[in-house]
Amino acid sequence: MDEMTMTVSTRTVQVDGLSRRYGAVRALDQVGLTLQPGITGLLGPNGAGKTTLLSILATVNEPDAGRLCVFGLDARDGPERTEIRRRLGYLPQELRYHRHFTVAAFLDYIAILKDIFDRRQRAEEVARVLALTGLEDRAAHRIRSLSGGMRQRLGIAQALLGRPELLILDEPTAGLDPEQRLRFRELLSDLPGDSVIVLSTHQADDIAAICPHVVVLLHGQVRFTGTPAELAATAAGRVWAADERDGRAHLSWRGGDGRWRHIGEQPPVGAELVTPMVEDGYLMLSHTAGAR
Amino acid sequence: MTTTGSATMSTRTRAGTVPGGAPWRAVLNLAKVEAWFLVRSPLVLAGLVSGLVTIWAWFWLNPAQPMWWVADWRIGAAQLILAMTVLFAAQLAAGRPRRDGMADLYASFPATASTRTAAHLAGLAGVLPASLVLAGGGVALVQLRHPIGTPNLMVLFAGVVLVLAAGAAGTAIGTRFPHPLAGLLGALGLFLPVVLETALPGSAMWLVPWHLHPDELGWIPGRLAGYPPAGLHAAYLAGGAVLAGTVALALTTRGVRARFRALLTAAGAVGAAVLCLTGVLQARPVPVAGLNRLTAETANPISAERCTTASHVRYCVFPEFGQDLSQFEAPVSDLLALLPARPGPLTVEQVLLVDFNDSHLTYGYSQQQVQRWDADSSASISSSVIGLLVGQWPASGNLADADFQVALATAVWAVRISPVTGTGQCVALNQAREAISIWLAILAAHPPAAKLQRSLGWPGGSGSPIQVGNTVVSAWGYPYAYQVTFPGTQFTEAGYLLAKAMTRLPEAKVRQVLTDRWATWLNPRTIDAQLAAALGIALPKTPAPVRASGPVQLPFSVCTS
Repeated sequence: MDEMTMTVSTRTVQVDGLSRRYGAVRALDQVGLTLQPGITGLLGPNGAGKTTLLSILATVNEPDAGRLCVFGLDARDGPERTEIRRRLGYLPQELRYHRHFTVAAFLDYIAILKDIFDRRQRAEEVARVLALTGLEDRAAHRIRSLSGGMRQRLGIAQALLGRPELLILDEPTAGLDPEQRLRFRELLSDLPGDSVIVLSTHQADDIAAICPHVVVLLHGQVRFTGTPAELAATAAGRVWAADERDGRAHLSWRGGDGRWRHIGEQPPVGAELVTPMVEDGYLMLSHTAGAR
Repeated sequence: MTTTGSATMSTRTRAGTVPGGAPWRAVLNLAKVEAWFLVRSPLVLAGLVSGLVTIWAWFWLNPAQPMWWVADWRIGAAQLILAMTVLFAAQLAAGRPRRDGMADLYASFPATASTRTAAHLAGLAGVLPASLVLAGGGVALVQLRHPIGTPNLMVLFAGVVLVLAAGAAGTAIGTRFPHPLAGLLGALGLFLPVVLETALPGSAMWLVPWHLHPDELGWIPGRLAGYPPAGLHAAYLAGGAVLAGTVALALTTRGVRARFRALLTAAGAVGAAVLCLTGVLQARPVPVAGLNRLTAETANPISAERCTTASHVRYCVFPEFGQDLSQFEAPVSDLLALLPARPGPLTVEQVLLVDFNDSHLTYGYSQQQVQRWDADSSASISSSVIGLLVGQWPASGNLADADFQVALATAVWAVRISPVTGTGQCVALNQAREAISIWLAILAAHPPAAKLQRSLGWPGGSGSPIQVGNTVVSAWGYPYAYQVTFPGTQFTEAGYLLAKAMTRLPEAKVRQVLTDRWATWLNPRTIDAQLAAALGIALPKTPAPVRASGPVQLPFSVCTS
């Protein structure tokens, strides 16, 4: 890697040749990416390597090979890694909490861990993220008294502390009800446009709604980078609507209107071509990768 | 690699964050929070309350007057209870991220694991208030009992260091083992060697966190130079704290700078060196000069005592016990005021009962030397001396028993009973002077009537059979918690019942009868029946003496002089 030439920008997050194994399992295989300011959705099935990739982006894990450069800072270098961490907000996939802490005390503690030392500014910052996540009235409550959805919002709140330039959210909408998901979208939309936000989710509609960029990770490899429209377009001409099920389709399911939606190379009898959505593109890619 | 952009480091800095390296600021800020958690920790508060209750129980349920050379060490032992809960609380705090499934999140923060560990260690300052309250509260609880001497600040300080060392150990355990069970086992591990110390050789007792049973200190009349080795033990605990802190940091210093690692290694080496050195030094024997002096003081207490004379009675007390002099004088003076005549000079002096075979006192010396000390320390008390045992005098407020015992000993001297003979102890069996001595003591000290009433049912004392010569008789004894006089005197139930009957008569009448024929009453041949007849009362019924069925070990003899 040292001999590799890499163009480094102070505005982007760059990943090059990233590989990571867990024993015999290859979680990431030569992953290369450039994450631009704005929201990037990371799609992939379970076991695709999303969480491993995000934990490496969050400098929690180190790759076996490859390089991570965040805003021009090399994650392999100790002081630069610390500087990356100062600019980072991270919501891991499975986060439990110090359940006996109050919400405000927890956020205050995390703020110190994020090098926010000024007490007044810390208090302001805690108040800000509480307001952003709608938890103001829960500030004095112990975490153990919060519902699952509220805890997820608390996880998002801690990630937002310090106005991170790189925000890594591993399945942030898991456990949120539809209204909370919409609020979450709203919240992300309000964040500064020059932040790099990486969002891992199984919810393709979340990606379609708020992500200008999409990365699809399959079997530890990047299989797609582009916009949601471009991802949807990968399924163009291969998504059909019909009254009957067709066994030749790669995937088919009955929609709420009672009609069957088919993804496949051959049109079912009497089917009509429909405009593909992000989900269709993702499913098409998944199927293609699985076939390989 | 080529770089685009104007700078390697971003020029954008978040509000409130520190752009450069700020591990010390992180440590300080986190330490404040951790300290506050410990201040409010239910575990720490429970340890504090338990410690205070233990001190209260030690000094308020025990009637003996505290002596600071025992009491300060006991306060340190109460700190051990706090230390256990602090260890547990520190372990829970240090293991919190891993136990709560937040290790990944914490790993993404600029504050590293070693920074957090350093904060946990610095945050142990949060247990200082509890430890200081325990020490201060303990001192206050002891002080309310009018103790002898003054507390040794080094001993109290060592107790505080014990708590901090336990906290450091808890942090080290929690860093590696986050499960609460590890903290619980750690706390028990802190206590276990202390409990087992009695099974350890004497010198090894300083290697446990705290020497819990300083009983040998309770029999000596002051502090022995260098014993207990409080300063060394404080340093020993401090060395342990540094070592535990270093281990805790070493467990979390992945990827730190070489300079910090070198510093850590040096600190660990210093901690280990202090631990080993002080461990060896504090296990040194008690200085021979101190034990020689103690031997001399035990054999001949007056050599070290300060004596004063009041009402023709010489009172000798060890220098530390000057404050108790008036308490010793009161029952003696009250009894002397009742006497028609004094038999001769009287000395009331403090005496020691030191067991030189106690390995906690004489560890490191040969058995031969210990036996020599033991032999050299044996003292014989003349019949004109009333001995008061060091360590047995009650705290003020509980003087009734002690007053009665001293009055009784004075009365025994006044009626010329010499309870110690060349071959053992004697009993003034069926001698009028026995009842007279009890009557005098009751009149002088006014013991609680309820206790006198109970005195006949006291197991092992009153009512129990004793062999006097060839006869088995029923014994009488006052149910005191501690024997304050030495040597003790054995009384018979018959003597007590006659004395009790005498208390029902007008005092003036009894005094008149006694004064008229005082010399006769003191004669060992004058029997109870003669006294009863002179007083005009019937001799109280007592169980008939029974002849001993066979030889009994160490029977009492009949007092003949």
